[in-house]
Amino acid sequence: MANAWGLKNKLFILLLIPGLAWLLCFFIFPIIIVFSMSFGQKVDIIGIDYNWSLHNYFRAFNGVYFFTLFKSIIISSITTFICLIVAIPVALYISFSSTRIKSILLISIMLPLWTNLLIRTYSLIAILRTKGHINSSLEYLWEASNRALNFLNLANYNIFNNNFIPLDLMYNNFAIILGLFYIYVPFMIIPIYLVLERFDRNLLEASYDLGANHFQTFFKVIMPIIIPGIISGIILVFIPCLGSFIIPDLLGGADSQMIGNIIERQFKSANDWPFGSALSFILIYMTIIVISVRYIYSKLYSKFYIRGMYEKY
Amino acid sequence: MKNIKLLHSPIDYTRNKYLKIISYAFLIILYLPILNLVIFSFNDSKRNIVWRGFTSKYYEKVFDNQILFDAFSNSLTIASLSTIISTILGLSTAICLWKFNFYLKKYYDLALLFPIIIPEICMGVSMLAFFNFINWPSFEIWPLSLSTIIIAHVSFIFPIIAIIIRSRLSILNNEILEAGIDLGASNFQVIKLIVLPFLKPAIIASFLLAFTLSLDDFVVTFFTSGPNSVTLPVKIYSMVRFGITPEINAVSTILILIIIISTYFVIKFLTKNNRALTK
Amino acid sequence: MNNKYQITRRNFLTGTSAVAFGITLNPFKINANSLNDLNFYNWDDYIGENTLSNFADQTGITTKMDFFADNDELFSKLREGNPGYDIIVPSDIYVEKMIKANMLDRIDHEKISNMNNIDKNFLNPVFDPNRGYSIPYMWGTVGIGYNMSRVEERPNSWSYLYQSGKYSTNISLLSEATTVIAIGLKYLGHSLNSMNIRDYKEVEELLIEQKKHIKVFAEDNGQDLLASGDVVLAQEFNGDIAQLMLEDKDISYVVPKEGSIIWEDCLCIPKNAPHKENAHRFINYLLGAETGADLADYIQYATPNKAAKDLMGKDYTNNPAIFPTNKIVKVCENQIYLGEEIGQVIQDTWTRILAS
Repeated sequence: MANAWGLKNKLFILLLIPGLAWLLCFFIFPIIIVFSMSFGQKVDIIGIDYNWSLHNYFRAFNGVYFFTLFKSIIISSITTFICLIVAIPVALYISFSSTRIKSILLISIMLPLWTNLLIRTYSLIAILRTKGHINSSLEYLWEASNRALNFLNLANYNIFNNNFIPLDLMYNNFAIILGLFYIYVPFMIIPIYLVLERFDRNLLEASYDLGANHFQTFFKVIMPIIIPGIISGIILVFIPCLGSFIIPDLLGGADSQMIGNIIERQFKSANDWPFGSALSFILIYMTIIVISVRYIYSKLYSKFYIRGMYEKY
Repeated sequence: MKNIKLLHSPIDYTRNKYLKIISYAFLIILYLPILNLVIFSFNDSKRNIVWRGFTSKYYEKVFDNQILFDAFSNSLTIASLSTIISTILGLSTAICLWKFNFYLKKYYDLALLFPIIIPEICMGVSMLAFFNFINWPSFEIWPLSLSTIIIAHVSFIFPIIAIIIRSRLSILNNEILEAGIDLGASNFQVIKLIVLPFLKPAIIASFLLAFTLSLDDFVVTFFTSGPNSVTLPVKIYSMVRFGITPEINAVSTILILIIIISTYFVIKFLTKNNRALTK
Repeated sequence: MNNKYQITRRNFLTGTSAVAFGITLNPFKINANSLNDLNFYNWDDYIGENTLSNFADQTGITTKMDFFADNDELFSKLREGNPGYDIIVPSDIYVEKMIKANMLDRIDHEKISNMNNIDKNFLNPVFDPNRGYSIPYMWGTVGIGYNMSRVEERPNSWSYLYQSGKYSTNISLLSEATTVIAIGLKYLGHSLNSMNIRDYKEVEELLIEQKKHIKVFAEDNGQDLLASGDVVLAQEFNGDIAQLMLEDKDISYVVPKEGSIIWEDCLCIPKNAPHKENAHRFINYLLGAETGADLADYIQYATPNKAAKDLMGKDYTNNPAIFPTNKIVKVCENQIYLGEEIGQVIQDTWTRILAS
């Protein structure tokens, strides 16, 4: 940054120290304990032998864990993608509303978050289950239309089956994705909204004046600007999805296990903290690799891009 | 000729019917479960499955339940304190990372992502191990007895706030700052007069988000709480063993009501102030 | 231009008002005389409505309750050291595990004069011989809760859940590895506490084969699944089904003929408990006949307290969902702690079953 402020600055120290100190004392230090645990080995019931072996990591390279991890990544990606698709229009709508409506909408998006996660999930179950609200409403409609058909003497055509077959909305992967979406979508909307909110409306006007339609304007003008918001949103949604265990437990069916469930079990019923830490750190390493690849890629990209620009002119 | 059809400007997205439909449909879906929750808090049955008639007895039960009350007040205190601390820390960290270049900055940036990356339960266990390792004293006096929970909450909330505020700072126009400095403002003044007002929506949003995250956290809280520091989520998780009863719905409904009322007053207060300013 | 002050002021205002709110709700709990305290770490809704206040009236000791939702939580919370609890309520396997991990203190039987109220059958359990570390609190079974109108016959065998497609996708099992696998062992004719790895392999194959018929491995909410009609048969703890039976006459409970788990929750004193003396007094108080009857009446679980049971009415003592018949009890077993190696076998088996 060309105009970055000098470092020999009281302000710099004042801004840096509190956050850094807190992070080091109350986050990095505790994490180091767990990190060293991941190289240890469990002895007896509660003992941990810190013998700095890679034993736990090798154990994790097993088909079962790999498969589960892969499945969790797929489910989290789908969820993140759906969140993104819904969040962008909603964030657009909010950011263009009048101040009063804007604050009402924003708060309505936050409000469900104030209710306990577990309670919200249970309410979702009440709506989705076999005799839940969706199925009973559908059943009602079904019967109503059957009656209407009977009335019109069209019953012989058998347009509808006589018996309503309830939709299987619960205890499958669909339910997990829906549940994760429902819980995490506000974390996608908020960062996108925050970027959109300060975005220069003149650019839009210019785009439309130059003859672009909605789609062109969106992809050529809005999209590049909201990228930072989207990235924060993806981080805030994808990663918690990957580690979630309560929602797969409650909404998923017999094969609902995600990697978060396995990690949770290591810390609880399996009572194998070293292995649990190793699995957690595998997730962390993976995320760091993805982030740094993206970082290197964007660096290279901008380098080439700039060089190309120079050559052009 | 085509443009004649447009009765409003194309950038007036609030009038775009697709956006409108998506947004309101989304809100309805978001609120269906909440509505269900509120309705079933009046259900005259021990569980939330079949409607067995109207009753308000679960509300009476909630008001009689001292433990629930304690849990509720503990949760509010923890959420308020950790929100204030996290917002201050997150804000200063975000500004620092945005404006200063320093050695190892990239790594600091990455370290801030850690609390989001790390699985919740691993974080909880690390906190449990940490407080035992340094022999953190267990205070009997309230609110010090909540100190471990508050510390743990701040640790995973303030980096999130820093990230949100930073993503907004990244779109702040540098020229404004330069103009400010050219006009002789000190760094402190630049932050006070330009950066903070610019960040206002992000600060409010992250304030709300932080409160939410703290209020709803179970895993980390569970591992860091000592005796006499039951919080609402911890209480609710243990209640669920016997199935969700309308009593839990009633607590949630009360919580929602409190939040709606307090936000109403906050908004009213804000708009009033704005009006005073514009005059 | 006054804008600059507003953010902070507003945040400050909301913040302080929230804290103020929290504080007003919470009358300062500074208690100079903490000698009169007792920190009780319990399951939720697992104590009589007036038990604690009566105890306070009798002895002047204030009991503060804190809650956990399952044994694993209790164990992980205490394994790095006792954060200050005086009494905990672990179940059988965990009692033994905690004894072996040196996490429990001996209970001084001299101080518990109500010891002889306990039913003789409970005085020498496999997991804690002679009750050195634990006092029985409540006990029960694991069985099948079912919807009477939707089954043809009484589901009197685990085969309906473990080896049959009869109620395909209308059955739920618990999601606790130790419970589900132990019952699988029992169904196959082995001991619940088998130490033979081959037996676990058999259960694994059985469950992987059966998985397509299982709707869900339920997180201890099988009673809700039954009530909502999502499943017809649910593997559950007896107490959960007994509570549902009070409301829904169409639900019943059976312990299958192959036998099942008999679980037992115990009162224990963890190491380094700050108020050990009070803990003993409290245990003694809970074992009293009257108190025991109040507890049993409220919780509706089987009490091991004979004196209390004698005070109870017929609808409690004759309830099949609370007290299994002697014939059933004979084929049932207590679970014991099988050591960490078998523990890991169980966990790995479970992970594979879920992932397959």
